[in-house]
Amino acid sequence: MTGLFSQLVMLGSSGMLLTALIVLWRRGLPAYIAAYRWQSWLLAAVVATIAHFGDDTSLYWVAGALLVLKGIAIPALLGAMRRRVGVTPQVTPFVNTETSLLVASLLVVFAYLLARPWMAVSHLPTREGLPLAMALLFVSLFIIVSRKKAVTQVIGFLMLENAIALLAAVGTYGVPLLVELGVFLDALMGFLVMQIFVYHIHETFDTIDVDELTRLRH
Amino acid sequence: MSRVAAVLLQTLLAVALAPALTGFIRWLKARLQGRRGAPPWQPYFELRKLFAKEAVMSHTASWIFTATPFVVFGTSVAVASLVPLVLAPTDRFIVGDLFAVVYLLLLGTFFLALGGLDTGSPFGGMGASREMTVVALTEPTVALSIVALALNAGSTNFSQIVGRTIADPVTALGPGHLLAFAALFVVTLAETGRLPVDNPSTHLELTMIHEAMILEYSGPYLALIEWGSSLKLLLFFALAANLFMPWGLALSFAPAALAVGLLSVVLKLAILATAVAVFETRIAKLRLFRVPELLSASFVLALLAVVSTFLAGQTP
Repeated sequence: MTGLFSQLVMLGSSGMLLTALIVLWRRGLPAYIAAYRWQSWLLAAVVATIAHFGDDTSLYWVAGALLVLKGIAIPALLGAMRRRVGVTPQVTPFVNTETSLLVASLLVVFAYLLARPWMAVSHLPTREGLPLAMALLFVSLFIIVSRKKAVTQVIGFLMLENAIALLAAVGTYGVPLLVELGVFLDALMGFLVMQIFVYHIHETFDTIDVDELTRLRH
Repeated sequence: MSRVAAVLLQTLLAVALAPALTGFIRWLKARLQGRRGAPPWQPYFELRKLFAKEAVMSHTASWIFTATPFVVFGTSVAVASLVPLVLAPTDRFIVGDLFAVVYLLLLGTFFLALGGLDTGSPFGGMGASREMTVVALTEPTVALSIVALALNAGSTNFSQIVGRTIADPVTALGPGHLLAFAALFVVTLAETGRLPVDNPSTHLELTMIHEAMILEYSGPYLALIEWGSSLKLLLFFALAANLFMPWGLALSFAPAALAVGLLSVVLKLAILATAVAVFETRIAKLRLFRVPELLSASFVLALLAVVSTFLAGQTP
């Protein structure tokens, strides 16, 4: 039973990592938004699995909130943002696709090495998900620093937030519901503030390419 | 004695079934695209027609050109005798090593590229150079996904891997297993000249890879190469199906188990063929310069499979 539990958690966590790799591989915002949506659904599934096998009913609420907020609401808002900012012909990264995929795989190896002592002291059946969650954290950070468009950086931030939620879920079976809700609201506020920034950047500079921010318009 | 007979029968089955698999994918794709399409057994008629025709050869062609079809077909048949198709007896030693199989298949590809270069036609050289680019990128992926599988089972022998997965089905849900499957699937598409990398249904297109190499072949030589390529497709499918989802595979020589094994392998091949047909209908061919991106993505998948099996397996 615990074998199945840890395999399912590992499956969900590696699925989440894969969606982050899709952002590195694909081009174009619709694919990124879809990847984020899939990642949030997988996160909700992992949390629900932990609630089922760990006998923690409050985690079901967390899973439901994750599904509604990150799986439906934020992707919809991202879609609205994409429509308002308009079609960007190509989302150009600072680092080319092959290199960024290889960097991501190095980050994953690094995360495994880093998570080793933690896995040695943890006795939870979900501990196999720890290195995957940390890898997701690093890959999302890499997405933020290696992309030029503000919207892509926002998606990187949202994935980073997902990674932290996953880390909490597999590391400690989730934090108390109240703290979790607080983090949700923080993330939502952060997202809304970033959305306003993206609009303003777009209005002022006619582009959301952050490279252009170095030159003064007025 | 019965083992030799079983292996022989299995090889013959693979060789006989291969054109039907290619024909089935073509027929299904035609149906999905709203065409009527040739019936699934059309490739058999094509093979018969080609075998009856005369072979035309360039004056500049050397012995490599004539040897290539035999090498391509021969390596495919040799591999067909190693891959577990219907039967994987766990109690006895069976000569089925993953490294041997994959590199035998690559030997056929290597000779195909040589044959393309041999006549000195511009298309052949172009196809050969592209094929080598693709193969150079797929080979590390193949090796890594094999290592990921072998790490789980502790052996590169087919029977051991299959036996291990059947004995402990939960491991089939692990990321190592699934990621390696995804990587091997992308490699299968690239190695057998399927859609995102190469277009199997066109000739004389500037982006073609496989068809460019075999452009100079005709008659029985072409028939052997076509047959060998469809056999290669079947073998890659059988590998993907039976290594990752071995349920139904016959573990003994009992007639009932053999019948179940035969049925399940046909079913698995049909499922994979349907998946490929749907996939090929939905997507367009990648630009040649974007192919390395796809292949490096599959390399990363294989690397992750190894990392998650190897490093996660270290901690108690």
